[in-house]
Amino acid sequence: MKAGLAWLPLFAVPFLVHNEVALTILIFTYILGILAVSFNLIFGYTGQLSMFHAAAFGIAAYVTQLSMAYLGVSFWIGMVIAVLAVSVLSVIVGTICFRFKLREFYFAIVTLAFSEMVRLVILNWNSVTNGSLGINLTSKPTLWLPTGKVITVEGTMAWYYLSLVALLLTVLVCTRVVRSWMGRCFAAIRLNDQLADTLGINVFLYKLVSFLVGNAGAAVAGALYAFYLGYIEPGYLSIDQSLAIVAMALLGGRDSMAGPIIGAFILTALPHVINLGAEMRIMVYGFILMLTILLLPKGIVGLVARRRRGAPGLLAALVKPRDVL
Amino acid sequence: MLQLILGQLLNGIIIGTLYGIIALGVTLTFGITGIVNFALGAFMAIGAYVVWYLTDSLGLAYPLAIVLAVVATALGGLVADQTLFRFTRNNLINGLIVSIGLISVIQAALLLIWTTTPKNMHYVLPGIFNLGWFIVPRMRAVVFLVLLGVILATYAALTRTWAGRAAYAFAQAPEAAKLMGVRTGLLQTGVVVYSTALAGLGGALYASLYSLEVSMGSSYILKGVEAAILAGIGSVMGSLIGGIVLGVTEAIGSLFLPVAYRDVYGLVFLVLILLFRPGGLFGAGR
Repeated sequence: MKAGLAWLPLFAVPFLVHNEVALTILIFTYILGILAVSFNLIFGYTGQLSMFHAAAFGIAAYVTQLSMAYLGVSFWIGMVIAVLAVSVLSVIVGTICFRFKLREFYFAIVTLAFSEMVRLVILNWNSVTNGSLGINLTSKPTLWLPTGKVITVEGTMAWYYLSLVALLLTVLVCTRVVRSWMGRCFAAIRLNDQLADTLGINVFLYKLVSFLVGNAGAAVAGALYAFYLGYIEPGYLSIDQSLAIVAMALLGGRDSMAGPIIGAFILTALPHVINLGAEMRIMVYGFILMLTILLLPKGIVGLVARRRRGAPGLLAALVKPRDVL
Repeated sequence: MLQLILGQLLNGIIIGTLYGIIALGVTLTFGITGIVNFALGAFMAIGAYVVWYLTDSLGLAYPLAIVLAVVATALGGLVADQTLFRFTRNNLINGLIVSIGLISVIQAALLLIWTTTPKNMHYVLPGIFNLGWFIVPRMRAVVFLVLLGVILATYAALTRTWAGRAAYAFAQAPEAAKLMGVRTGLLQTGVVVYSTALAGLGGALYASLYSLEVSMGSSYILKGVEAAILAGIGSVMGSLIGGIVLGVTEAIGSLFLPVAYRDVYGLVFLVLILLFRPGGLFGAGR
């Protein structure tokens, strides 16, 4: 409940902060937060390093746009189609990987191979995807208010609340999953999948569920990100994008829901806070990755939780680490 | 048509040895330190840029420049090992993330020093060998022979010298090797440094064939990892053969199938190998 209260101030932010740049950073944080939280379901909770996440993100962006363009459906239907398409692909890729019981490193390599294949198809299928030039998205999602009014989601305010609610829903779904019997199976698989198998847990099934739910989250993020930015290109599916997601989860801490969101916030805000040239920015990013691994293996959340143990304040409630199994 | 196929075959083999030298570094590092050093591609870029700088800006002879570039890369590898990889031994995911961070740092440093403009080295060895039905540029032949020589020499050193056998022993049973007097810390550092030196050599030779970009190594490290897995991680000659198989698959594949998808052919091959022969082409079944 306390963790729920921590969300309330976020809803008040647009009334207190009128800085357009700050709000934009927060919108990107929320959308990328969805991506990072859903990735962490696979990586942090189930212990599988998936490199397919950027692919799920990018495929959803393209499928949403293409189904709107070719089928003439609205944004939300397009997003549902995208989530379904990504889910089907996830089941295929996941079944191949988990049926053959690929170990951590080989799983990362095979999922990377699949996402590179999809990226190359999108890059070269010029007639549909416009290749490396990408597509400009002119339409915006619409929302039906309870009063019967239809509004178009454009401008910072509307996007702020849309992305915040989407993130909140993602966190709710992921929390429910993690706290259910499924979450305990995920943890068992993460800690020792052979032991989990011996205990009668269907390792294949639960790995697949984790992969599927995680990728569906990435699909939602992809559709929102594309239409907020108004532009899609094959770079959505790049290896760099996959690595940026891993970096968010690790930097924030992979043992909690809040960790990846904090990581997303820092990596989104950093380029705006410190004004550096492009080269220095890449260098700072590299140093963050290396120092996080060497000095903060549990991420920022791990650090805060250690400092705050025994004093459950608002911050500690927000970043409460997952119950140890 | 036959001529075209043979030409592509030869090109594939030459590119394949370049994949092979990276694959050798990947295999050695993985066998001894338990991590995959994804920054090998970035070390390759260091080797290439240093060679370009020494020959085109300082006017050194190419062979001397290669030696200096390999030494410079190896020093970089030593620094990376002592500050980073020493702490991520046998932790695959941490090693992966750290080496990815290192890629960003190296690329940014190269950009700061030498800007984004692609660099072209002058022709070191112009001319061609005419072999009757097809022709090979001389420089390509030299690159191929040097890389082949280095891989064979590494194989010989690993099987014939005490240090090589110590490395094999360590890969099989680290504790037993330690008890037999193998200085394991030194061995691990040595292997990391040697693999970066190999990557530096690959880059130094690459510089004479293609134009240089900061991100040039990123496709080579992927191909190197693919080649190492194809052959079965841990096999020295396998990394050479895996590299060549990959290079030839791409070259021949892009002859009959769309060129735009040339990177896919290797990936499909890799996925199939991993699924049906996880030990690699030459490894044990599983």
